[in-house]
Amino acid sequence: MRAGPSPEEIRRHNLGTLLRHVHLGGPASRAVLADRMGLNRSTIMALTAELTGAGLVREELPKDTGRAGRPSLVVRPESDRVYVLAFDVGVDRLIAARVGLGGTVLDRREMVRPREGFELADVVGVLAGFARQMVRKTQSDTVCVGAGAAFCGMVRRSDGMVRFGPNIGWVDEAFGTELSRRLGLGLPVSVDNDANLGALAEHERGAGVGCDNLIYLHGDVGIGGGIIVGGRLLGGEGGYGGEVGHMVVKPVGGLACGCGSHGCLEAEVGERALLAAAERSPELIGREAVRSVVDAADRGDIAARDALHQVGDWLGIGVANLVNIFNPGLVIFGGTLREIYLGSAAQVRSRMATNVLAVSRERVRLRTPALGDDATLVGAAELAFSEVLTNPLEVLARATA
Amino acid sequence: MTATPILELRGIDKSFGPVQVLHDVAFSVYPGEVTALVGDNGAGKSTLVKCIGGIHPIDAGEYFIEGEPVHVHSPRDAAGYGVEIVYQDLALCDNLDIVQNMFLGRERKSGLVLDEATMEEMAAKTLDGLSVRTVQSIRQLVSSLSGGQRQTVAIAKAVLWNSKIVILDEPTAALGVAQTAQVLELVRRLADNGLAVVLISHNMNDVFAVSDRIAALYLGRMAAQLKTSDITHAQIVELITSGRSGDLGLQNGNGAKA
Repeated sequence: MRAGPSPEEIRRHNLGTLLRHVHLGGPASRAVLADRMGLNRSTIMALTAELTGAGLVREELPKDTGRAGRPSLVVRPESDRVYVLAFDVGVDRLIAARVGLGGTVLDRREMVRPREGFELADVVGVLAGFARQMVRKTQSDTVCVGAGAAFCGMVRRSDGMVRFGPNIGWVDEAFGTELSRRLGLGLPVSVDNDANLGALAEHERGAGVGCDNLIYLHGDVGIGGGIIVGGRLLGGEGGYGGEVGHMVVKPVGGLACGCGSHGCLEAEVGERALLAAAERSPELIGREAVRSVVDAADRGDIAARDALHQVGDWLGIGVANLVNIFNPGLVIFGGTLREIYLGSAAQVRSRMATNVLAVSRERVRLRTPALGDDATLVGAAELAFSEVLTNPLEVLARATA
Repeated sequence: MTATPILELRGIDKSFGPVQVLHDVAFSVYPGEVTALVGDNGAGKSTLVKCIGGIHPIDAGEYFIEGEPVHVHSPRDAAGYGVEIVYQDLALCDNLDIVQNMFLGRERKSGLVLDEATMEEMAAKTLDGLSVRTVQSIRQLVSSLSGGQRQTVAIAKAVLWNSKIVILDEPTAALGVAQTAQVLELVRRLADNGLAVVLISHNMNDVFAVSDRIAALYLGRMAAQLKTSDITHAQIVELITSGRSGDLGLQNGNGAKA
């Protein structure tokens, strides 16, 4: 049994915390950091000196403050020098980005994928190719401190194994290991479910800043969910929790779902349900098809409007269940659900007014993602940064070795 | 959910000649919230907004700002209390750029000349504060902007003046779906930044998507003012079309409160 953390552990913790403040909150003066972290200014000075020495932050005189007295130095993240690789694998699109410390997207590559033939080697090949192109363009003094990927399926977090991707037909594919091998940077790739990462990103940088109980719903072909309770992402026993798309809402007479079941929420709300109800031809798929239905509904297409109302009603039922169970302060509609929510808010909120317990609906706010379509990608970048933010000096030393 | 409304009207009457347009209207607006003002054509929405904005003097009733009774006789008075109105037709000048439009009639001067640098900086800061990333340059002529971007500039213009209450008259009426979504998100952000927003709209999806409260006018009377989370689409439609819905709204046919 130990008495408490050693001075070394405290120092490491403080370094990480300071770096996290600058990473998430943007450039801040030493005085402000001292105030936010509850430490005295000389400790802050020592910590910033160490981080500056390692090349993670730099200190600058602020521009004219307009106030009297010696200005406090501003601590800035070294966004151009320290970066991570972030990947987003959706059913229809693959994105790779180079994201600097502080969250600036420095470079990105994107590809629209055809629906057929979702092979591990193809996906990994494209992403690794994008990454190599972007890394090649960097200056020699830059350093990659991590890699993270958002994936549209159920992921084992310990090794990035995709256990099940109902809409792409994957079962137990070693995505994380394979991507790490193909990148050849000597870095492991952390992988998590895309909706989980969307929730994380909106919590740290988006609409959910300051809200510790939120639910992020991500519409792609299916519906993913990321649930943050008490400031922490709800994972469950194996990290597969939050699959709100497979909440059974209509077991009798429900539509067939990609997971093999019937009447799942995503079978009633997902892309296929909307397009089928709007009587769109089966060739039309993807985000653009969903957006065109919302657009047609706005222009008075009756089939599209009825389809949107029907889907909105089911979405409302799903959200009502979630709000009753988790009592969140915020529900965020991301991916294609952004358009669907804005186009059917009357149905969604009518369901909530009818089906959510009065005390639970007092405080819940419904929002679209502040990070827009990039929520999942930003989440992947945050996942990649998490290690350097916990143990800045060691991770950096390892990356530059 | 603050207890004191930033703007409160009580017992407002307004007549144009023999026609009484507003009868004993009460209306409250809260900071950090979007209050949707709905009603059929001719229900009195625009008249009520013009009374708030000081364009029409009120015949009777009380006007409170942050709990203090005030008298508003002109648009300048209203602006002095932090009330800004963005009208449907936007009233932007096509031949001027974004900065010039935002400062039209209230230009900053340094000495005898216009202080372009400060105005540019303030305009950029305001657009940035609203997370507006759709305009390329703030020196772009307004004539080159899309409908959604114009609406954004008009809203930013209203926010620039440290306004506390921003009233938007049908901001999404002439826009396509993608631009409507952007404007709705902007409206929401205004309120999340602490402003009180009044949104006039006929589109129930827009109203439900962003509002915290809904006030329904029926034939010049306030049928009900309710939290959006407590009401359904069907109830609101009933309030708009008949002034009542079950226990909600006006309790007898001629609209007088029971």
